[in-house]
Amino acid sequence: MNCDLVHERLLTAAYGELQDDLVHELERHMADCPNCQAEQAQVQALKLLADAYPVIEPEPNLVARSRMRLEEALDALPPLRWYERMMRRAGNSLARLQAMPVAASLLVLMGAGVGALGGFRIAEHSAALSGSQTARNAAAPQAQPEANGAAPAEVANISSVVRQPNSGIVEVRYNHVVPEKIQGSVEDPAIRRLLMLASENSDSEGVRDDSVGLLAAECRAGHGCQATGIRDALMAALLYDRNVGVRRKALEGLEPYVTQDVQVRDAVLEALMNDPDPRIRTAAVSLLQPLEADTSVREVLYSVANSDRNPHIRTVSRQVLSEVPEIQ
Amino acid sequence: MAATSTINGTKSAEERMQDRAPEMELIRQAQGGSRAAFDALVRQYDQQVLRLALHLTGSEHDAEDIYQEAFLKAYRYLGNFRFECSFYTWIYRIVTNLCLDQMRRRKTRREDHAVVLDRSGDEIDLLASVSDERAFSNPAKELDRKHLGEKIQCALEKLTPRERMVFELKHYQGLRLRTIGEMLNTTEETAKNTLFRATKKLRAQLAELR
Repeated sequence: MNCDLVHERLLTAAYGELQDDLVHELERHMADCPNCQAEQAQVQALKLLADAYPVIEPEPNLVARSRMRLEEALDALPPLRWYERMMRRAGNSLARLQAMPVAASLLVLMGAGVGALGGFRIAEHSAALSGSQTARNAAAPQAQPEANGAAPAEVANISSVVRQPNSGIVEVRYNHVVPEKIQGSVEDPAIRRLLMLASENSDSEGVRDDSVGLLAAECRAGHGCQATGIRDALMAALLYDRNVGVRRKALEGLEPYVTQDVQVRDAVLEALMNDPDPRIRTAAVSLLQPLEADTSVREVLYSVANSDRNPHIRTVSRQVLSEVPEIQ
Repeated sequence: MAATSTINGTKSAEERMQDRAPEMELIRQAQGGSRAAFDALVRQYDQQVLRLALHLTGSEHDAEDIYQEAFLKAYRYLGNFRFECSFYTWIYRIVTNLCLDQMRRRKTRREDHAVVLDRSGDEIDLLASVSDERAFSNPAKELDRKHLGEKIQCALEKLTPRERMVFELKHYQGLRLRTIGEMLNTTEETAKNTLFRATKKLRAQLAELR
């Protein structure tokens, strides 16, 4: 340890902010270094000298006068109107949720966009097919309707029916849905995209459960969930899915990100505060345990410790809070 | 010994949590527009705010202005308080910023540094208010206490506003470097370096006294 470094540490030591292990190191150096011993004496002397310019308590008159002046100034401010108060409250609530709802809304909008685009492409494709078929049908009036053909597609809807003038031909425009199957690794982007769609849109709880389970396993295995949007899909499932099993799997999948990712942490905090199922809330507390020093986590834990309707969760939250290290 | 300190640490954490609960509730009520809750918050911190402003500016009038402006700002922007730090740190951040602005604006020096001016312009001797039983080291004995105080104040005023603020918060207010960093929107390391620079300058200024 060189003397320059010791001089810096002497100052922090003089103010009681040097770590214990460094104090021992410092003491060892000091024992053999007259230069640093002199520096220590100088630091102590400066501390004593500085105390000769003391901090005084403000006079009671000054305090009273300041308070009175402040009260007058506050009285002179126009009172907050009801909508200003509402906006303040709304602002606070929004800020608490931070970017989580934005991310969820974007995800939903993205899903809707992808769905609409997909639907448009399918419709465009089938319209083109139907157009060419219509042309063939016009050339051969006895032709059978396309829907009776060999294609396995189902008719989704009829978009228009037009009877051509001066002929017995009717033009029917319709869209059809072609069932398809895809196989591949879970890491295949196309498979992942479908799993994410299934986690949000499927009417079947079983399908949602399976897809969220697979996505969660991917996240736990550390296979790059953040960049591919799986993390967002899991957060949406945790917050909005009706099935408790799906939410539990989503929470498990988010575990590796809770310490690093603020959005994930906020989603878990949201689940801790609002999830109707106590098992999810309990699992959220244990997930947040390593982060008990984080202010937002402490605040939510404190709120849960006082107001959660489940006594077990209240106790667990208190236990976690009791382990919060000393903070000034 | 270790076990005792752990138990003590746990107890104090619980106590601190309980201590802060009413304050958090007050803040929420004040954020909802309760003037009474805000007044209670003011009462909790106003003496500390005045003490800091008075010591930094050396003027009752300036301290009063800083007090007024700080709490009006707090009232106006309380809705932006997100419980990410303690309310104490938040209000001190406002006050330190106002004091820094004030110190930057007012770089003029007074003739008599050991006095502060009250509202009516009369002088108050800061050093006269200190008990005579204070213990001083050998160098301090060579000089009259009042003269010494003047020299210290003069040396403090030669620091940059930021150095002065860090030294004030560390030495006189006894805050931790991490908290000082939070208040001044900087890191603990930067606060430490600033403190080191400030003490070096003070030692150079006060070399004749030692």
